[in-house]
Amino acid sequence: MKEYSQNLSSFIDNENDDKDIINKVLEDAELQQQFSRYQLIGDVLRDESNGLDLRVDITDSVMAAIENEKQDDNVVTLPQKKDKKVVPFMKRFGQYAIAASVAGVVVVSSLMINQETSSDPSVVPVLNTVPFGGTAAPVSLQATPKQTQHDIKERNERLDALLKDHQLQLQTQP
Amino acid sequence: MKCRLFLVALCSLMSLLVAPKLIASTEIVSTEEVDSQTQETAISYLNKMKQAYTQLNYELVYLNTAQNQIEPKRLIHGVVDGKRIAYFSFLNGAMRETLQFDGKISFYQQGNQAYSFATQRDQSIFANIANFDFVKGNKSYEYIVIGKGRIAGKKAIAIRMVSKDNYRYSYIVWLDLNSYLPLRLDVINKSNLILEQTMVVSLITSDQINPWLKQLSTQTKPEVLHLVTATAKVAQWDVDWLPKGFEIVKGDQHKLMMHDTDPVSYIMLDDGISLVSIYISNVKTRLAEQQRVIKRGGTLIYTKQQDNVEVNIIGQIPLETAERIAASIKPVR
Repeated sequence: MKEYSQNLSSFIDNENDDKDIINKVLEDAELQQQFSRYQLIGDVLRDESNGLDLRVDITDSVMAAIENEKQDDNVVTLPQKKDKKVVPFMKRFGQYAIAASVAGVVVVSSLMINQETSSDPSVVPVLNTVPFGGTAAPVSLQATPKQTQHDIKERNERLDALLKDHQLQLQTQP
Repeated sequence: MKCRLFLVALCSLMSLLVAPKLIASTEIVSTEEVDSQTQETAISYLNKMKQAYTQLNYELVYLNTAQNQIEPKRLIHGVVDGKRIAYFSFLNGAMRETLQFDGKISFYQQGNQAYSFATQRDQSIFANIANFDFVKGNKSYEYIVIGKGRIAGKKAIAIRMVSKDNYRYSYIVWLDLNSYLPLRLDVINKSNLILEQTMVVSLITSDQINPWLKQLSTQTKPEVLHLVTATAKVAQWDVDWLPKGFEIVKGDQHKLMMHDTDPVSYIMLDDGISLVSIYISNVKTRLAEQQRVIKRGGTLIYTKQQDNVEVNIIGQIPLETAERIAASIKPVR
């Protein structure tokens, strides 16, 4: 077998026209397979495969598998009972959706109320210290036991004044 | 035997085919040069953004997010007779509008009297990034194109501006590949955490200026306010250390605007992107600790009390920077 492989290789390379090998190949199915493999390898190496499909042909086995599957074909129709179960579920789902949208309305309206009350009515000629297109930065100091309420209030006012001044400095920067 | 010879020949042929590639790859300039090349592409994109942002007619709807607060806003920009005009408004809640045109910025707010300030500094949302001198800024930032994506329905390219030190934040800018307008801006700290994000959700560009905006430019603007509160032209204090790229752009003593307080010494720093305010005054209310830090998004309010002196630093800088600046403050001799 091994020696024939060697000879087969040289035969493919046109370096051997020994009739004995040809006969041997014609007789031996294994050698035939090897011959076709060698040819294929040669083609691929010489880039002559021209898009030759190297994939194993599996159509036969797939077709066979499909043939087998066909036996189960008649299980397509669903029993009627299942449809009846879907309807009440959808109804309930609809109820959930409405409840959720009500909750949405509540949230939205409370937001609007908050927005209205959030603008500061106490100071009359207000300079807008919110940066042009930026975000405002409300600040507050957290209480620590050592500080009195008055201290915290004073401190927050101070920070507020500093922050407003900072924004105005930016806005009036030439 | 012959088959082996064939294989040897094949192998040598293969190696010959691969070799030129190997040679080429070693020839492709050193990595440093590659870096400078990518820097240049990034800078050219950023410069295109600068041009687009200041010269095109466009309308942006965008969101700012900083610590779970989201507010939709709109910016309409146009150019009238070579002059830029920008109109900004909040889309939710009370009407708050701003118009910047011809050296003036005017504020209109529901229920309050409108007023203007005289200023030439572009104060629209992407202005600080868009007007940055990217070539000069190369000393403080490295620019890297990090990839492409899609924002507001547009093809976008992301460029990272990485700070070369820890004294400033880094940024990621997303640009529309079509108009080069900015679409998204992330402010990130050194651990790559997004502190603040501005995201455009709708971008419309037009060849002609928005007619309504053009009409706005002809309207009389509210009176210009002159907030002269400075009591002295120089601050009583000096900053010994500044992060690279920062300069002192203003120094005075003034009463805090809109508050009748004792004058404070004031110093303003600018690195082309962020403006930082430093206030130095006497201690009014003693804090429990020597230092106090409030952060919101990328903005920091840093307070330090030492002896009877209180230093407040406000701006978009990391804490380390504020600490070092505060530590370097000394009275003027």
